[in-house]
Amino acid sequence: MTVERIAEILKASGAYGWEISDTKLTGREFYFIKHSLDQARAKDVRHITLKVYGLSEDGSSMGSASADVPPSAAEEEVAKTVSDLIYQASLVKNKPYELNPARPVEPMPECAADPDGEARRFIEAMASVRETESEDLNSYEIFANFAERRFMNSRGVDVTERFPSSMVEAVVNARRDGHEIELYRLYELGACDADTLRKDIEETMAFGKDRLIAVPTPPLGSCAAVFSTDAALQIYEYFLGNLNAAYVVRGMSAFEIGKPVAQDIEGDRVSVFARRVLPGSPANFSCDAEGAPVRDLCLMEDSVPRHWCGSRMFTQYLGLDDAFSLTNWEVRGGSRPAAELRKGDFLEVVEFSDFQVDDMTGDIFGEIRLGYLHRQGNVIPVTGGSVSGNMRENLACMSMSSEQRQYANALIPAVTRLEKVTVSGIEE
Amino acid sequence: MKAPFSKYLDSLTGGLRTLIDLLSEDHDYVSALATDSKGLVVRISQHSKSVGNRTMTTERGVVLRVRQDGLYFEYATDGFDPERPELTAEALRAAERAQRAAVEATGTAVYETGIIPDEPWELFVERETEYLPEDCEISGLVEKFSEISDRGMAMSEYMLDCNVAAQSTHVCKLFLTKNRYLRQSYVYSEGGVAAIVAKDGQNRFGYKSLSGLCGIELFDGIDEKLRGAVDLALELLDSDRIEPGEYDIITSPEVSGLIAHEAFGHGVEMDMFVKGRALGAEYIGKRVGSELVTMHEGALCAENVTSYAFDDEGFPAGDVTEIDRGILKTGICDALSALRLGTVPTGNGKRENFEHKVYTRMTNTVFDSGSDSLEDMIASVKRGYLLEGMDSGMEDPKHWGIQCIITLGREIIDGKLTGKVVAPVIMTGYVPDLLGSVRMASPDRQIFGSGGCGKGHKEWVKVSDGGPYLLTRARLG
Repeated sequence: MTVERIAEILKASGAYGWEISDTKLTGREFYFIKHSLDQARAKDVRHITLKVYGLSEDGSSMGSASADVPPSAAEEEVAKTVSDLIYQASLVKNKPYELNPARPVEPMPECAADPDGEARRFIEAMASVRETESEDLNSYEIFANFAERRFMNSRGVDVTERFPSSMVEAVVNARRDGHEIELYRLYELGACDADTLRKDIEETMAFGKDRLIAVPTPPLGSCAAVFSTDAALQIYEYFLGNLNAAYVVRGMSAFEIGKPVAQDIEGDRVSVFARRVLPGSPANFSCDAEGAPVRDLCLMEDSVPRHWCGSRMFTQYLGLDDAFSLTNWEVRGGSRPAAELRKGDFLEVVEFSDFQVDDMTGDIFGEIRLGYLHRQGNVIPVTGGSVSGNMRENLACMSMSSEQRQYANALIPAVTRLEKVTVSGIEE
Repeated sequence: MKAPFSKYLDSLTGGLRTLIDLLSEDHDYVSALATDSKGLVVRISQHSKSVGNRTMTTERGVVLRVRQDGLYFEYATDGFDPERPELTAEALRAAERAQRAAVEATGTAVYETGIIPDEPWELFVERETEYLPEDCEISGLVEKFSEISDRGMAMSEYMLDCNVAAQSTHVCKLFLTKNRYLRQSYVYSEGGVAAIVAKDGQNRFGYKSLSGLCGIELFDGIDEKLRGAVDLALELLDSDRIEPGEYDIITSPEVSGLIAHEAFGHGVEMDMFVKGRALGAEYIGKRVGSELVTMHEGALCAENVTSYAFDDEGFPAGDVTEIDRGILKTGICDALSALRLGTVPTGNGKRENFEHKVYTRMTNTVFDSGSDSLEDMIASVKRGYLLEGMDSGMEDPKHWGIQCIITLGREIIDGKLTGKVVAPVIMTGYVPDLLGSVRMASPDRQIFGSGGCGKGHKEWVKVSDGGPYLLTRARLG
């Protein structure tokens, strides 16, 4: 069924408000063991989601209900789904708000749909990774997708985005004296950027080599930690979480507009931006998933929150009419180059089992798989033990490099240093 | 009542049989998995309420698996027309040609794999349920959950929000080859309460959940989770930091389940053996735990959220004894990995949904019970912690390292709980050391199915895990 016909059914239904999201996805997938093709897959699928809103008779509450509609659904099935949604929405009592209105939107540059060509470029990129006798690719998976997403709502929004959306999973092995370890990477990408992909995997291989000579992490207690890989994203997502309108409305955000996030800041001040476009990002969209136009916007300036972001519902609750959910984001680089942040005694952790920063509590934790202990001018690869702490204790003293590095839809300082973490080691 | 099998899937059967015949003209293996799984989700908090029909496993589509010249190829579509199966056959062939062209253009070698066995098998399973999510009247649920949320807010001055969420999924799957005709229909449900509290600028949350192989009748039990969630959140507000070190620990059934899942769930997924990614392959027949450690894995091991009758490759559900009194016996295996390793599939071939590839995946992963009481365990600990609640886990099958993020630890000194609570707790260690140190196990195994499991950082599927209270030793931070 066409999206236009679904819209007609919704218009005729008498629903107070409605939204349609219709995404067509063409995918090409290749799975490798070493460099031999294990399996290949293709997909041609379409995801249609309807959301219906209802307003109570006295206007005091508004409810919504949503449903995925199979593309194979007949007209009667869609009509029944809409009818059910209207009833279900009437049972839900939220504070009323307005859906996004139709606004002028600057479209993104057209992207040609070429998942087969994109997949081939990824295969060639992975084949060109420089392996050695002791470091190589164990296996990898390539997902080259092209998506066409159309969003419509009852207030006249009708936006179509066409974009490549790719993913590569790579497992790297390193071995020495009969002992072998692996390192894992998952890259979410737009189009294929062979050089960046190759460079990152080769850096991972170097980490693997060092992990094989790593010694047990000593119990360092309270110390400074440096983050120079994608684990640092978790640190900055703490800021994003606290800048999100849903957290603010629920009383869970530690931040206030216009008020510094910490007192007596001695480290770098943090500035966070929404970015409409980041080169190579899989999230270069003109609008967010609810049809709100995305624009460049400073969310936090020098550690002072300036704007909230988030879903239409919660930003409306805060009285904001031009807010949107983040697609791409940037954290401005700090005042000093990375080399300056790597001075003195510290632990630089480049591989965790699963590094986490809880954006609600600020808790930091992760098991160390590879770190570099810088002590009295010496650098020792270490493994084991864990890093723990809390972001609140680090807000006044964290440092960021002036250089930046991009991970998917995020551009962040290449090196981040937290002064107050605890490192538990495994040395007896 | 029986959860009725999808009429929609039945309507596809004739067309899919024709499609299999068409594709068999130029492929030496053809199978079709068709899915039609419907759901219900209700989420209530003080600031946002919603209802919907999408759960982690709702889907409708068809995936075709074919083999030609030793290479398996799959095509996933949600546009299959049973009246025009030739259109899907052409679409599959066009995609396959394009991908083979890429293989040739890049000089890529093919990892050749044999033909999946296709002995005749017919199966029709409709499991019992009291309700179907697609037919249920949600007004009572919205009111009930709103009342629970309101009551939770009144339980403490520190409450910020009280989220009550529940979902139910009616899974229907049809698997067809030339010789196999399998149909299954079952309903599983899950729910929970999350209490969010704040004091002196510090936020914490407590979560209690439940799950089962049943319909929304499960949600009657959500009310009983409220007090526990609120009490847990309040305990966390006043918790201390743990002093890092190695301790005697007693793992609650939930934490035991997390260990089972991370330690010997991922570690013996045999598609990892094919890639040389799991240390477990070298330990078959060797000791990896104490005499008290026996572990099972399989859809038949327990009745919970992933207790299906056949897997996504058309193989029967199993009950594999992975560890028998400390000795690693075998792993779990999907069909293609079994061909490559010269073994048999164990019914563990699972997909996130029809759009995704099959991997070897866990179902119910559980430690067997023992005979020691929790009281005796606590009394035997000189200095240690009773660990409760799980937040997340991560494994390293190549190294047998494990990381578990645990909600809290209750201090034990000289055989008694002191009342001191530490949180959060990171448990790390080497799996054989952890399981080798198990010296007591309780008789009261429990199973939990409210979470999901990824392969690496993607491919999310439903799993359940569990075990009894276990007394062992581990490093905490």
